[in-house]
Amino acid sequence: MHLELTDEQRSFRDTARRFIESRTPLTTVRDLYDEPDGFDRGWWREAARLGWTSLFVPETHGGGTLSGRAVTDAVVLAEEIGRLVSPGPVLPVNVVAAALAWSGGGDRGTALLPALAAGEAIAGWAFAEPGDRWTPDALETVAVIDDGGVTVEGEKAYVEAAGVADHLLVTARGDGGLTQVLVPADAPGVTVLRGRSVDMTRRYGRVRLTGVRLPVEAVVGQPGRAADVVERQLALALALQCAEMVGLAERAMETTVEYGRDRIAFGRPIVSFQVLKHRLADMAVHLEGMKAVTEELAASIDGKSAETSRLASIAKAYVGRHCLEIVDDCVQITGGMGVTWEHDLHLYNRRAAVDRAMWGTPELHRRRLLDLLADGGRL
Amino acid sequence: MTSTAGTTESVGHFAARARTWIEDNLPTWDDEPVDDRTLQNRIYDAGFGGIAFPVDHGGAGLTLAHQRAFYDCTDELGRQVPRQYWVSIGMVAPLLLERGSEAQKREFLPQLLRGDIIMIQLLSEPRGGSDLAGATTRLTRTGDHYVLSGSKMWSTNAYIADYGICLARSNWSVPKHRGLSLVIVPLKDDPGVSVHRTRMADGELGDVCEEFFDDVVLPRENLIGDEDDGWAVVQSLMVHERNQTADIGYGRLGAGGRSTTMVVDRTAEATQLAAVARERAALDLHNQAVADAYIDSVVTRLTGDRIIRGLALGTHQGPWGSLGKLRGSEDGHRVARTRLAVLGADGVTWDGDDVQPDNAGTAWLTARIATIGGGTSEIQRNIISERLLGLPREPSFDRDVPFEEVLRNARRRG
Ligand SMILES: Cc1cc2nc3c(=O)[nH]c(=O)nc-3n(C[C@H](O)[C@H](O)[C@H](O)COP(=O)(O)OP(=O)(O)OC[C@H]3O[C@@H](n4cnc5c(N)ncnc54)[C@H](O)[C@@H]3O)c2cc1C
Repeated sequence: MHLELTDEQRSFRDTARRFIESRTPLTTVRDLYDEPDGFDRGWWREAARLGWTSLFVPETHGGGTLSGRAVTDAVVLAEEIGRLVSPGPVLPVNVVAAALAWSGGGDRGTALLPALAAGEAIAGWAFAEPGDRWTPDALETVAVIDDGGVTVEGEKAYVEAAGVADHLLVTARGDGGLTQVLVPADAPGVTVLRGRSVDMTRRYGRVRLTGVRLPVEAVVGQPGRAADVVERQLALALALQCAEMVGLAERAMETTVEYGRDRIAFGRPIVSFQVLKHRLADMAVHLEGMKAVTEELAASIDGKSAETSRLASIAKAYVGRHCLEIVDDCVQITGGMGVTWEHDLHLYNRRAAVDRAMWGTPELHRRRLLDLLADGGRL
Repeated sequence: MTSTAGTTESVGHFAARARTWIEDNLPTWDDEPVDDRTLQNRIYDAGFGGIAFPVDHGGAGLTLAHQRAFYDCTDELGRQVPRQYWVSIGMVAPLLLERGSEAQKREFLPQLLRGDIIMIQLLSEPRGGSDLAGATTRLTRTGDHYVLSGSKMWSTNAYIADYGICLARSNWSVPKHRGLSLVIVPLKDDPGVSVHRTRMADGELGDVCEEFFDDVVLPRENLIGDEDDGWAVVQSLMVHERNQTADIGYGRLGAGGRSTTMVVDRTAEATQLAAVARERAALDLHNQAVADAYIDSVVTRLTGDRIIRGLALGTHQGPWGSLGKLRGSEDGHRVARTRLAVLGADGVTWDGDDVQPDNAGTAWLTARIATIGGGTSEIQRNIISERLLGLPREPSFDRDVPFEEVLRNARRRG
């Protein structure tokens, strides 16, 4: 996706691609459906050694960026994850690491970073709430601070890797504004309900927090002042997700074009028919747009641009819509084979459908964009 | 299928008679499930099988309107109807009626209509389904019988079928449409036939199957129509298939067969979605369209920036301007359409006589300028697909031919 990669980024990408191709090729992705977590923790530690978990972790805590721009680096990985529909909690672990690093303070949080970087610990971001609520102002979970402790109460949904996470970063309403709390998954009052998704390996769960009482050090950053960092976390989650969708759509399109060149009907390759060529041309237009907007979003988060939130919604609305449409078109062009188990396209279709929904649908982001625009300013 | 005017029972009368019988004889979907064959036997023996088929061939001698009335009633009363006969009764039986020999009609039609046997279609192949006439399954005549070899794919219900109607190539030395034959193949108890269900994208075994035919010997009487005339015969099968999918044919056999027809009552589904959509305020189509038009314009600008960088860096080569042009011009059209939609009557009217500058209606009149001028969107798509994606060119009739011939030939082609 990036037009220019540094040498480090290029080798990071190539290593990731080889690792996915050799350890979790698409044939094994089907088998991983039977794994409760959708991946193996030993495998995750190996992925961590390749740098999958350390981009947002400061060097002092065992991490480091490749280019000095962590988000730009991370989307390189996310795109590879998408290309081969790889398993692994790349998104939540990286977003939580970023949240802990960006928030500063909170000893518990910084203490967790080395373990996240090493792949020893897994963290989930408990943000959204039941009823498809993905915007900070819609949250109802509360975090109240008193007597040197914090009490968290509420219910979170669609939490990626909830079942396997050792720690959950809970975003809640606090005194004066948003408060984030790092909750150990085994703390009293935490109930995790494991769930599944249409994706083969990605697991989501529900987290119930009933009177969860923790020492005040569990609060990440300033209590009541987390709104800005939460916006940035959301933008990061969306950037990773959009990059994954770029990879999904691009690979699906490549394999479909290859297939269509070999598939003969009426004495010609099917991709020589003008209707299919035009369809593919439109897909190429949107793929290029998906890359352009995702690249821009990543740069904007790295650059701490004031446009980040708007750009994040633009990116999700655009990429979320077109990724699914591209994969869907690939199914149609592949004909009957495209709806079979044996053909890999359903793996792409599954991930594309989940990505479209998680972190807000394109519909939600169009709406959020209009609200942001109406609140003033232009992009 | 037609019946002499005057002697046909009116649809209304028939419907009343059918309703009484249905109420007394068909279980509801909440009752113990009754197997398909028992149900079909019961329906048939009461005179309600093959409603629109002629009496001579085991039908009830009525019309499709009567059939529709019968199954509207089973649907309305929520009664069990068989699920597995829509190919057999809906598509294959009418084909046999229209194109089968007298012997074939006598032998198969009553059994098909009663549900005692199932016959499906073996048309598509692993090689392809769109180009049906390109079939490469082989039918060879040897003495007084035929030998079939090859494979078929996507055959719905083959795993429960007794027979299939197979399209195969009987003559390889004539153009493709003229060397095909249609033949009835027994699918059970022949060691040369194997049938495998296909696992679908949702992970479940589908109703569709793949079959292999290994030198299967067939009597000549199994031919439907004449040898090498299979393409003409199969047209009639495809008409019934499409009627079936459109829910207007012989296969309109009630909600039991619903999974295969695309025409269903979606009110319940829509009601449920409408409630959720209202709650989530996503129903506001104007907002969605306004946002999308704006998003597209931002992405167009970013795409342009990316292409400029890419051309400078060399990561982008070739006519990327076509991609940018297609994007930008289609955006403009979309915005114009969105303005019309959002502004409604206020967008196309104004006070006084002078055209109000920048009104949505006037802008709409020229909204297509950019998608046409400078090379139409269609031509840009040709360029993108051929020169950026490297897809094959359309065949052209005007290369290396004297121009006067090009003009003459073109008129003949039209
Ligand atoms: C659930 C299901 C049930 C089925 N049941 C049966 C059955 O009972 N019996 C049976 O015989 N078959 C059956 N089929 C097969 C079905 O008819 C074929 O899948 C279909 O005709 C497409 O063929 P294909 O899959 O080989 O795709 P292909 O023919 O390979 O087509 C691939 C793509 O190329 C496009 N294409 C091809 N030619 C052109 C052209 N000239 N111009 C533009 N685009 C073109 C197609 O539209 C498609 O997008 C079934 C299929 C399914 C999925």
